[in-house]
Amino acid sequence: MADSAQRLPQEAGNGDDGDNRRRTFLKGALAAVPGALFLGCDTARLVPAAAAAALTGEGYQPTYFTPAEWAFVNAATDRLIPSNDDGPGALDAHVPEFIDRQMETEYGHGGFWYLQGPFHPEADFTLGYQLRYSPRDLYRAAIVDINGWSQKTHGKDFAALADAEKDKTLSQLQHGEIALPNVKASEFFIQLLANTKEGYFADPMYGGNRDMAAWKMIGFPGARADFADWASKPGQVYPLGPVSIRGEKA
Amino acid sequence: MATRMKPADVVVVGLGWTGSIMSIELAREGLNVVALERGKNRDTSPDFTYPKAADELKYGIRGDMFRRLSLETVTVRHGVDDLAVPYRQYNAFLLPDGVGGAGLHWNGQIFRPSPEDLKIRTRMIERYGANFIPDGMTIQDYDVTYDELEPYFDRFEYLNGSSGQAGNLNGVAAPGGNPFEGRRSRPYPTPPVADTYAAILFAKAAKELGYHPYPQPSANCSQPYTNFYGVRLGPCNLCGFCERFGCFLYSKGSPQTTILPALYSMPNFELRAQSHVTRINLDSTGKRAVGVTYVDPSGAELFQPAEMVILSSFQTNNVRMMLLSGIGKPYDPKTGTGVIGKNFAYQMMSATSVFYDKDVAINPFIGAGSGGSQIVDEFNSDHFDHGPLGFVGGGYIIGGQTGGRPIQQLATPPGAPSWGAAWKRAAKDSYLHTTNVVAHGSVMSYRDAYLDLDPTYRDSLGMPLLRMTFDWHDNEYRMTRYVTDRALEIVGKMKPKAHSTLIRQPGDHFNVRQYQTTHVTGGVITGADPNTSALNRYLQSWDVPNLFVPGASAFPQNIGYNPTGLVGALAYFAVDAIKAKYLKNPGPLVPA
Amino acid sequence: MKRRLTPGRVVAGLIGLGVVGVGGAWLIAVLFGGIGGDRSAKLVQPIDQKLIARGAYVAVLGDCSACHTAPGGKAYAGDLPIATPIGAVYTSNITPDEQTGIGRYSYGDFERAVRRGLRPDGSALYPAMPFPSYARMTDADVQALYAYFTRGVQPVAQANRRSDIPWPLSMRWPLSYWRWLFAPTPASTSPASETTDAGADALLARGAYLVEGPAHCGACHTPRGLGLQEKALTAQDGAAYLSGGVVNNFVASDLRGDAVTGLGGWSEDDIVEFLRTGRNHNDAAFGGMTDVVSHSTQFMTNEDLRAIAQFLKSLPGEQGEARFAYKPAAATALAAGVVSTRGALDYLNSCAACHRSTGLGYAETFPALAGNPVVNDADPSSLINIVLNGGSMARTAKAPTRFTMPPFADRLSDQEVADIVTFIRSSWGNNASAVDAAQVAKLRQALNAPPPAAER
Repeated sequence: MADSAQRLPQEAGNGDDGDNRRRTFLKGALAAVPGALFLGCDTARLVPAAAAAALTGEGYQPTYFTPAEWAFVNAATDRLIPSNDDGPGALDAHVPEFIDRQMETEYGHGGFWYLQGPFHPEADFTLGYQLRYSPRDLYRAAIVDINGWSQKTHGKDFAALADAEKDKTLSQLQHGEIALPNVKASEFFIQLLANTKEGYFADPMYGGNRDMAAWKMIGFPGARADFADWASKPGQVYPLGPVSIRGEKA
Repeated sequence: MATRMKPADVVVVGLGWTGSIMSIELAREGLNVVALERGKNRDTSPDFTYPKAADELKYGIRGDMFRRLSLETVTVRHGVDDLAVPYRQYNAFLLPDGVGGAGLHWNGQIFRPSPEDLKIRTRMIERYGANFIPDGMTIQDYDVTYDELEPYFDRFEYLNGSSGQAGNLNGVAAPGGNPFEGRRSRPYPTPPVADTYAAILFAKAAKELGYHPYPQPSANCSQPYTNFYGVRLGPCNLCGFCERFGCFLYSKGSPQTTILPALYSMPNFELRAQSHVTRINLDSTGKRAVGVTYVDPSGAELFQPAEMVILSSFQTNNVRMMLLSGIGKPYDPKTGTGVIGKNFAYQMMSATSVFYDKDVAINPFIGAGSGGSQIVDEFNSDHFDHGPLGFVGGGYIIGGQTGGRPIQQLATPPGAPSWGAAWKRAAKDSYLHTTNVVAHGSVMSYRDAYLDLDPTYRDSLGMPLLRMTFDWHDNEYRMTRYVTDRALEIVGKMKPKAHSTLIRQPGDHFNVRQYQTTHVTGGVITGADPNTSALNRYLQSWDVPNLFVPGASAFPQNIGYNPTGLVGALAYFAVDAIKAKYLKNPGPLVPA
Repeated sequence: MKRRLTPGRVVAGLIGLGVVGVGGAWLIAVLFGGIGGDRSAKLVQPIDQKLIARGAYVAVLGDCSACHTAPGGKAYAGDLPIATPIGAVYTSNITPDEQTGIGRYSYGDFERAVRRGLRPDGSALYPAMPFPSYARMTDADVQALYAYFTRGVQPVAQANRRSDIPWPLSMRWPLSYWRWLFAPTPASTSPASETTDAGADALLARGAYLVEGPAHCGACHTPRGLGLQEKALTAQDGAAYLSGGVVNNFVASDLRGDAVTGLGGWSEDDIVEFLRTGRNHNDAAFGGMTDVVSHSTQFMTNEDLRAIAQFLKSLPGEQGEARFAYKPAAATALAAGVVSTRGALDYLNSCAACHRSTGLGYAETFPALAGNPVVNDADPSSLINIVLNGGSMARTAKAPTRFTMPPFADRLSDQEVADIVTFIRSSWGNNASAVDAAQVAKLRQALNAPPPAAER
């Protein structure tokens, strides 16, 4: 998987125009994930509009993730929270963008975690996370492992699997039924699912929860944080839509 | 060689609840007080004003208020012969950091213990016989009674403008309050916060079973309130961003909302933030503290001389500082001797999510950290006959919710998967119609549950981490099963569509991945005997009389209630003794 | 911290006048500019602790530290920048340091500076120094003040900083004309103004003395004329006195008896409480008044606060306003989540948590908007300003909690601010004019407030 580990070329000069950047990205993306876009029987469903936009560079361009990683994160989060009539999917909500942006934060770099060794990944599950990886390193290591397993098992990257195969793989990761060389599968799944739900429900200023659609779906009023008038009306339906920290209204 | 600072009368290590209480009370005596706080200074403005306070990701999930574990954590193991590994990510409990400490990001649950909680060993033996206490359980009495502490519970409640409904006013039952509570000398300073709908449903069900639900005692003011330092608090608006968050309405009691505005105005008080105390320095006799050594934000090592040291950091760090400073004999679980690190305890919770149909608008986002919930206290402390049940301790049952923050607090009904289309459907359908019933239980102290220094892992300054040796015991499994079954009877009467319960079953290890409470206790415990306790009744070190160690580290075992009411009362009790006796005649306040 | 004071514009106008002025004007100013007072006057009484203590209190009344102590600086060592459109001027060192302060001032030098706006060399002070008000101070108070500043204050060696105003605008002689035109000549004062124990009239007189003299309330609260002079310096000068001014993009509100936009709805107790704690049951100090309360009024005696309150309540209203009558319609709608009125949802989202759907806030905590004089002022500048930039209450000994309103500039667009302000000004019985986005945009620019995050 040498190609997937390659970083997206970053333009350094000030003179780069958008077209140039997009072309460079497209080239990298196509080289890295040939299957993700064009293989499979039902491409339209495989890559919903939001993902297609992201992958073709029209929307957000990842800062941290490589094209292969980006394809994985898009494909995996899309299955963790699929798009349907109930409400937004992870891609509609820009969850991958959220996760990519988180990778560049103090959190992504492991600033919130104790990451000194020695490491005992064999320790009992109840003693908590015992891997050596910061969040960003965990994604990097795990995606290589998972795509490697997927190539070996299915002959293609995870992102190129059919939905049912993706779901089965995710379930196996969740339950530790896939042995990965570097990363404990269940541990990565915990991380991925947590970040996915974060990106789905966090304030939109972090890049996910686009248009507060996930809040609207469940009925959470977001950052309104004032219910003094409603304590005296127990059991009444709350009528107002959400507001975000930056003041977006719905 | 550490730079020597200008001597102070008092150096306070950690400016959370107890450090703030000690600082203002001693500064008001005219003493020069220097507070060293390893974390940042922070205040309502500019740090958590609206709307930035309402940020679940930053505060609720990432834990911006907590100490970065990359700087310092604890290691955990279940048994004395196990290998301890670091607590690398926050889940089970939260370590505070910065001015205000845990008093800034608590929920404001401001219970008093029951009178018998303070004399638990004597009470168990008197009522159930000496054999009732199982082998290995090392519970001890406090050397102070509820009646002695009553003025100080009162003081801490009036500091906070606490809201609630008295149940026992000077021995006379008061309707609507907790009939099991100890005598209180006057009503709560502010009336209860309005019940949420879920609390109303819970209380109705509890009453049907013959229980006496009452509004949760809360340091969320129900109306604006000015305390005895002249500091004014605002009213709680049930914003749903309480635990883990700062209060943008100045309503939740915290050092910032009750003490610091007055303290900061005093010229004889100085705060040095980002000043990390690494040890308490003793003189050559080892019987007197001469000050503390600390590292300032630039990394320079400084020595702050002082006549008196108040070690008022969080429970875990208090224990660690004692061990790192070589004060008191470290506890040895093999022999059961020694005192520092002894009797580490925690709490044991069960949580039941209660799911209603779509016609029941719970509106879970309407919630206060503590106000607005209802409590059933029938199965806490020794409010019931433990004899046939065979366990010590108990817990309260609480109905209601603190908020509906969707990343952390969204629950899906039993059978729903944790991801995929079915999860999304379940989240969509249940969010607005779900609440909680929690059994909030005690944990006793045991010979094999203790704290010491880890031999391997170090903090960012290179000092050993604290090692936590802890697992559940049969007594607690029995306690939580019993109290949870009572809770589930109430849940049944609430007639929900479904419910699901998280409970620790016999054989389950202590799991650091599940949030339980942040109420870790013990390790520098108070008692009557220097051979079995580190502190006398005034939280004064038996070994170093000019050192006082307030905080939950002083608890000989844990209670079913949230600890902060007792933490605050003990701090006021201690500082009153310092003011009335110690300052006139510095030395041991209790003969050893 | 920089303060923008209207006197800066005074300087600009006058300097302009001066630059085009004829040589004769210059000559007259130079020859006669220093006239007034007696440089050689000496303090006859001995300086004792009692006099120094009295002087310290007079310094509180005059709020000297507000300008002469820079934040984080040594007491009375000056160096506080006061921004003017032609460059900052810096307040002077008034500690008794002989080289850099006023250590070599005779009493006469001191008196001329305080009451006449003159430097020892006879040139004029910038009228950022409120000498037109201090002109009314009694000899006894000025003598005590001299005792305090020469013997009660620690000397600090800190050289005065030259103004940033470039030559020729920095020439001071034109200021002499302003002084002649607009600053009164100190007169001997009646003893009644120095005491409060001669009954109600004495209290009123004391109040007038404090407000018109040392406390220099009119510097902000009285509108200014074309020369940027205060249109009235005393109650006797007419209805303009304390009828409201504009300072630093805030409205310094009407302190006369106008029922809604002035103090007509406030009792004397309300005024006393406000000045002592920076807040009262329905309002709170903000903007520059926060400093006035922090440095000055909170330390005034009860009797003096009472005197000020009585004097202010003696000033009749001029606007013919009817008493404020609360109307519950907006509160009822908001509490039910009905947000059809423009601005109502924005109000719920950004304001109601503190000020409540009732618009009544909470006493001494979150100010009421219903019936609030500032909210109802014809000029919405203060309201817009505080929505954009927020504000903190004073930390006072009696009320140490600094309840703070955060800035909302980064959350609300110009239109949203306009909608909110208009909603507030027309709800709960408030009845003030609508505000449009252009007004907000102008103020956002003037205040250097950020654009909303959603638009960045």
